[in-house]
Amino acid sequence: MSRSSIVALVLFAVALLALLSIGPQATRKIQATFFQTIAPFLKTGSGLERQITSVRSGLKSLEELERENSALRVENRSLKATNEALRDVEHEVNRLRHALNYRERSLFRLVPAEVVSRDSSTWWRTVTINRGEEDGLAPEMPVLTDEGLVGRTTTVSANIAVVLLVSDENCRVAASVEGTREQGIVTGERVAASVSPLLDLNFLSKQAQLKPGQKVYTSGVGGVFPSGLFVGAVRSFQVRGLDAQAKLVPAVDLAKLEDVFVVIGRK
Amino acid sequence: MVFFLILVGLVFVGQIAEIFIPPLDWMFNAHIYIVPVIVFYGAMTLPFPLMLCLAFVAGFLWDAMTVQVLGANVEISFGWSILLYAVLAAIMHGLKPLFDRGRWEVHCVLSGVCTSLILLAQYLMISFRRGSIFFDREVWWQIGGPGLLAMLMAPLVFWSLHWLSRLTSNPYHQEEEGFDEFASR
Repeated sequence: MSRSSIVALVLFAVALLALLSIGPQATRKIQATFFQTIAPFLKTGSGLERQITSVRSGLKSLEELERENSALRVENRSLKATNEALRDVEHEVNRLRHALNYRERSLFRLVPAEVVSRDSSTWWRTVTINRGEEDGLAPEMPVLTDEGLVGRTTTVSANIAVVLLVSDENCRVAASVEGTREQGIVTGERVAASVSPLLDLNFLSKQAQLKPGQKVYTSGVGGVFPSGLFVGAVRSFQVRGLDAQAKLVPAVDLAKLEDVFVVIGRK
Repeated sequence: MVFFLILVGLVFVGQIAEIFIPPLDWMFNAHIYIVPVIVFYGAMTLPFPLMLCLAFVAGFLWDAMTVQVLGANVEISFGWSILLYAVLAAIMHGLKPLFDRGRWEVHCVLSGVCTSLILLAQYLMISFRRGSIFFDREVWWQIGGPGLLAMLMAPLVFWSLHWLSRLTSNPYHQEEEGFDEFASR
């Protein structure tokens, strides 16, 4: 081994040991700085992704139109394009109006945010949103939509934040079942075979006998999530050795998240 | 040095690009990883010190994007990916003579195997932290799927990078035989 290789190996080992020994606060700081640095790339990438999806769906409509009426293809193409553009605007207006209404009638002080990217890792389920410390966000704040609970913030930088989704095994939520006195802990699955995985409601009593469709809400225990947020609906129920478990369909379609709210306090 | 800087740039771009590549539904939600293939190619065409630097950069970026800080705990300490990359890249670096003799297919297969090994190591670490371990069909696909995809991508990525290596007159580029014939086609 040459001298330069030995020097490189020693420097590498020192740098690695230094990194391995840092604590959670320093790790969070490094991540926040990193996300702040790549924020422009994430936002540009997110915009491009939306444009590509929009173009793809527009082409699909044209194909259907061609099949329906080949004689009027040229005329229909321009009409369809105009219609698509208007529909996008209408969808946007409806979405924002919906969000605004929810924000006004909510009991919480909410910061609206847009999802700019999804997790790229195999074992963790997170999304990145375009709001951060400058908007009043901090770690461990609940994130929701008008449909229900989405997750909680973990790493927060100046104007970008990472949200740990409720479908991640590490995002534990104390919950209670509507119409019963049953309480349990909702967790995600470690390995999800689809983009919209189910949730587990653990530590229920064996006598719970939950029915499909029963709603599960946050119980407020634990301090991170306020009570009364819709988490999901029961899909199945099974008794295990010491307790019982229910599988839940998440309240929010996590695969199609676009706009979310971060709870920064009560009104 | 120019080629090394290009590889660092590609690792950065690849890491960002991976965020926008959706997981494959038909492969049990397996992710596509480009960065390991770039790092493993770098391991064969860079000298040992630069190979370590590249592994450090790639591992740092991966950890910066994925490490979970939950309250006062870090699930997998920052730096483990750097170590994994360095060990696996060192193995690839050790097999460089084979690559120079034209046996590039071995390294394509190894790129896939090493990608899966990184995921397997991560899975074992989080299983240890979470206190339970299981291996079902989904887990194997989440570990093996990205490896298979990396294996399939490797010839194209290797070919493109080999071409870039020649273009930038990388002094560690092997001109005599082997992969050059493949890359010049």
